[in-house]
Amino acid sequence: MTTLKIPEQKVILCGEYGVGKSSLFRRFTSNMYTTATDRQSTLGLDHYSKRYHVDGKDLKLQLWDTGGMERVASITSSYYKFADAAILVFSLDSPESFNMVSQHLLDIVSYAENAKIYLCGNKSDLKSLIQVTDNDMAAFCEQCQTLVAGTFKSSCKTGEGVNEMFSHIAMQLVESNRSKFELEKLTENNGLQVRHFEDSEDASKCSC
Amino acid sequence: MDEEYDAIVLGTGLKECIISGMLSVSGKKVLHMDRNKYYGGESASITPLEELFTKYEAPAPNESYGRGRDWNVDLIPKFLMANGQLVKLLIHTGVTRYLEFKSVEGSYVYKGGKISKVPVDEREALASDLMGMFEKRRFKNFLVFVQDYREDDPKTWKDVDPNNTNMAQVYEKFGLDKNTADFTGHALALHRDDEYLAKPCYDTIRRIKLYSDSLARYGKSPYLYPMYGLGELPQGFARLSAIYGGTYMLDKPIDEIVYDESGKVVGVKSGGEMARCKQLYCDPTYVPDRVEKVSKVVRCVCLMDHPIPNTKDALSTQIIIPQKQVNRNSDIYISMVSYTHQVAAKGWFIAMVSTTVETNNPEAEIKPALDLLGPIKQKFLTVTDFYTPKEDGRDSQVFISKSYDATTHFETTCLDVLDVYRRGTGEDFDFSKVRHDLGDEEQ
Repeated sequence: MTTLKIPEQKVILCGEYGVGKSSLFRRFTSNMYTTATDRQSTLGLDHYSKRYHVDGKDLKLQLWDTGGMERVASITSSYYKFADAAILVFSLDSPESFNMVSQHLLDIVSYAENAKIYLCGNKSDLKSLIQVTDNDMAAFCEQCQTLVAGTFKSSCKTGEGVNEMFSHIAMQLVESNRSKFELEKLTENNGLQVRHFEDSEDASKCSC
Repeated sequence: MDEEYDAIVLGTGLKECIISGMLSVSGKKVLHMDRNKYYGGESASITPLEELFTKYEAPAPNESYGRGRDWNVDLIPKFLMANGQLVKLLIHTGVTRYLEFKSVEGSYVYKGGKISKVPVDEREALASDLMGMFEKRRFKNFLVFVQDYREDDPKTWKDVDPNNTNMAQVYEKFGLDKNTADFTGHALALHRDDEYLAKPCYDTIRRIKLYSDSLARYGKSPYLYPMYGLGELPQGFARLSAIYGGTYMLDKPIDEIVYDESGKVVGVKSGGEMARCKQLYCDPTYVPDRVEKVSKVVRCVCLMDHPIPNTKDALSTQIIIPQKQVNRNSDIYISMVSYTHQVAAKGWFIAMVSTTVETNNPEAEIKPALDLLGPIKQKFLTVTDFYTPKEDGRDSQVFISKSYDATTHFETTCLDVLDVYRRGTGEDFDFSKVRHDLGDEEQ
């Protein structure tokens, strides 16, 4: 009994505490939004896989949240390992969070050198309070030359731009990994994951 | 930081990170601090390579070593038994999802100056050059006996009462000679010395079963090793703890551990702030006055540009030198990993030699092991003290783990962790407390 494994790509969220990484994560998992007063920060969020169908190809995006470790300490370097894409999140109303993006970019480049990097300005619903302009974002990307593969603006509150961003990332990952996926089908995977022996690999259930 | 916690954990070594994860999972409010800027303490993997050379005050590595950040060098070498305690912990806590492993390619044992593959099944036993023809048959019978042995089923005992028969008697019953007993006890059962011979045989039988069950899981050897080095393990458990609400603080020098008049811990002072706690968990380096030195461990990191000779060019391997072979009281271990585990630059190998120190010249003690490795490009030697806590922590509510021993696998590490957890909480860890729905499921 063989099942075709759908290629899975690890996508990590990076950025300052409070810019809305977990909100993006919640939008991704359940398309829900919870206000600050309703939740207890990033408790219990780990990672979540969702299937995308791009160009006749299936792909799973596996989105990872930081677990709130950046609140006082740094994130572990293993968070970045094996990442295929990283979303640098900042808050459009907070120039400080935007200025810190370069620091997070450095971490991504050193720990996950093959990851595609995306820039995401969150909280676009705060219209009048927005302090980081499109020009600022463009200037940043220019400084980083080819490092940033795409920029987005999103609002987790209204949901605007969120699905578009993830679909776009899924599309780019399918594009850039086309040959790699073909190869993986033919060759055995490199590392192995330890798991219960009884566990059989989840056969692909019905998609969304 | 100015808050009250159920538990404060000091040090982010593997043991403390597992404990922190287990406490957070059990619903405790945990603050986890480390004096270093990085996670892992002694169990961190050092990267980039320049950092390792600086640590040992060696001149910077030249360009032949490739890119410094392709290296992740462990300071405490260990492998995971595929069916062992740590893998069980990883699976039950879900931490396995943060890691990828590779099976270690070969397991060897030293006999009379050269190394041979450790035979583990009947077929390998018959092909092995460790034994003569008749001895092979006897060893095969012994292996079959161990495989069929069930502690709860006296019918499988073949007159060997697990509690009242010692292991020397079992060897005698099967007619195994000293050499066979030697590699069975040290390379299969992974005993560090010969004290086991006089002890009830059930422990050794269990250990041999663990070895062969581990072998049956993923292939050529019973050992696993994580990609990017062992430093990934504490980080995985730290993430688990954080996901369940644990708070992490790095780069926090611990100024003082505060006790009340009855000697019970009440908090930890750091940088002019005080965090209060009901319990404290830590490694020995945070409480020098509450631990005692019981022995020393010597470890030698060897960087090489070739695999170990006579191992069929294995990219990862373990070699055990049983104590008697080199007139010692404790075994010498060699574990080697390489660029295929993302711990070294392309074409490079890292061999680690470790053992318990018995003389005043630890470097001379490990010479038989170094001689097996072939030319070594760079060598770093460390002798560390092995500490154990002086108290069980019941009165002070300070629960201290032991230092990391010389064994090349994590079985003793896990036993210590489970023991510390039991001392601290008064109960065994309940694996069912871990939710398994932390992501991972498809929509």
